[in-house]
Amino acid sequence: MAADTAKPGPMRSAAFRFALLLAAVFAIGAAALLVVVQQQIGRYATEATNGGLRAEMTVLEGEYAQLGQSGLLDAMARHAGGRPEAPYRYLLLDADGRRLFGDLPGTVTLNGWSTVEVTERAPENGQIRQENMTTLGARLPNGLALVVASDNYDVQMLRRRLGRFTLMSGLGITLFALLGGYLTGRLFLRRLARVNHAVDRIIDGDRGERLPMIGFGPEFDDLTHNLNRMLERNAAAMEALRQVTTDIAHDLRTPLSRLHQRLEQMQDSSVIEPAMVEDALAQTAGIFATFQALLRIGSLEGGVGRKWFTRFDLSELMDRIHQAYAPVAEDSGQRYLANHAQGVMVEGDAELLAQLFTNLIENAIVHTPVGSTITSSLSIDGGVLLVEVRDTGNGIPLAERANVFRRFYRLDASRNTEGSGLGLALVSAIATLHGAKISIVDSDVGLVVRATFPLSR
Amino acid sequence: MKILLLEDDEATRTHLERVLGAAGHVVDTCASGQDAIFLGSTGDHGVLILDRMVPGLDGLGALRALRAMGIRTPALFLTALNGVEDRVEGLEAGGDDYLAKPFAASELLARVNALARRPPIVEMRTVLCVEDLELDRMKRTVTRGGARIDLQAQELKLLEYLMLHAGEVVTRTMLLENVWSFHFDPKTNVIESHMSRLRAKVDRGFGRELIQTVRGAGYRIDGG
Repeated sequence: MAADTAKPGPMRSAAFRFALLLAAVFAIGAAALLVVVQQQIGRYATEATNGGLRAEMTVLEGEYAQLGQSGLLDAMARHAGGRPEAPYRYLLLDADGRRLFGDLPGTVTLNGWSTVEVTERAPENGQIRQENMTTLGARLPNGLALVVASDNYDVQMLRRRLGRFTLMSGLGITLFALLGGYLTGRLFLRRLARVNHAVDRIIDGDRGERLPMIGFGPEFDDLTHNLNRMLERNAAAMEALRQVTTDIAHDLRTPLSRLHQRLEQMQDSSVIEPAMVEDALAQTAGIFATFQALLRIGSLEGGVGRKWFTRFDLSELMDRIHQAYAPVAEDSGQRYLANHAQGVMVEGDAELLAQLFTNLIENAIVHTPVGSTITSSLSIDGGVLLVEVRDTGNGIPLAERANVFRRFYRLDASRNTEGSGLGLALVSAIATLHGAKISIVDSDVGLVVRATFPLSR
Repeated sequence: MKILLLEDDEATRTHLERVLGAAGHVVDTCASGQDAIFLGSTGDHGVLILDRMVPGLDGLGALRALRAMGIRTPALFLTALNGVEDRVEGLEAGGDDYLAKPFAASELLARVNALARRPPIVEMRTVLCVEDLELDRMKRTVTRGGARIDLQAQELKLLEYLMLHAGEVVTRTMLLENVWSFHFDPKTNVIESHMSRLRAKVDRGFGRELIQTVRGAGYRIDGG
């Protein structure tokens, strides 16, 4: 079934899409960073160039003031040194505009800042190229005009390299993210494929199958764990349902076939004996009682009961049960004692709780021999409410204890004793509805059934 | 007495009609809530017996409509369900009693009689008398022939309920519900145990036995 549906490839996996998104975000971020850095560098480089020109101008002006024109020419010749990579280029004109020194074009502005385009030989490979230079011009005493210029070639180189570097690393990181996303996606898909296979097997009826751990992180394992718990719960519910269906069929077959026999007997005999009719009616009553109990357990386990919860006096209820059953116990040669704390108020369904405790008491009365003592106690102990019914009968073997709260379970395997085998199952269902734990407590003598209710509400 | 019976299952309806007829009642039958409203609105029935689950307008809706019309006839609900929820809903809709299917014919008869003969004044009486047996509901004392009889609280409640319905059959379930507030069938003979103690105190040593066992149905107290 599930194999028919198209499996998504790694490129369409969530992990890959996520990586793609991350790569895009990174690329945009890198581009923005590049723009900002370029601007910052440009501004810094301009300031550095301008500062250098001002300093050079100051130095030359100082030379001229101290040593005169020849000193100035010396200084410029020294600074330029005839090297193509020299930082500054000059132009010195006399008062008539004749060139005294320098190779800057004559069109350059003689006063203040300007840029000029010059032809230059590149220092690294000797190629001729056009270049923008920044110039600073100033008038010297005696009508001389001095212009100092500097190229910003280094800055442009730096910018270009930075741009290339950013582009390359951006591309690299994007490729890396895509590759990572692809691989992660494939890994995820492979792990999930195992989970999907497990699901397929469960759908095909393998109820014992459980989902494998996905891995990667606790959150995924939590998910698997919870899904498995859900499966566990469903499997238990289905098993219970199957069990109950079988049990109902088995438990109703006996009284139904007896009823059938009685009716056939009546059909055959000319006289209908009242005893036969009574027996037939008793069989139907038994069948109805079983149905009634099953329906009640069913509706309790369906969780419909809390609507009728009220606050009531549990002590009064327990006392009422004691008063009702003390004579019954006495009549069957037993004693029923009560030890109930007074004034215990609880939130719950009084009728259902009455049925719960009555079932426990009646069980004790029915299943213990003459001379036994039955005690019911109600106490508050460490924030919980304890109700115990203990008897001095034969108890229940350890191996059987887990089973007694199941539907239709009877210690007497032949099912010949009275009762539907639903009493304790009903007790368990009512307790669960009230958030109570019901258990059989170890005891030297007899049976102790304990119900623990959460207090606090 | 004239009884209105709403029941959609024909076999059950015929059976109940026969049972009630044999007990001397006249029965109007119907199979839908609408018919029940139509028939019940005349107001000349002693008791209404309404099945809760019938097609169309159900018994609950029919009784609500009748109560809205001012019909005060005592009503008993029949239902296949037996939970607090159903019982409370029935009572809120104006029902007076409630009987879960399946039930014995004797149980239905006893409850119908209890409903029909329930004069509101009875509940107000403070001293109940059957022959020479007297129960003072205020002082919670019982005397027979002037002699004081000591009863335990639940024995007194049991006797009180019997005497409130003197001359009528009360069933085990009616006693369980009204004396002990137990709405389920016990596996042991709770009622028998208490009844034998009550009888030992009330009837033993006196000439006439006032409390009688009605075979297959329940108990009755009367001076016969």
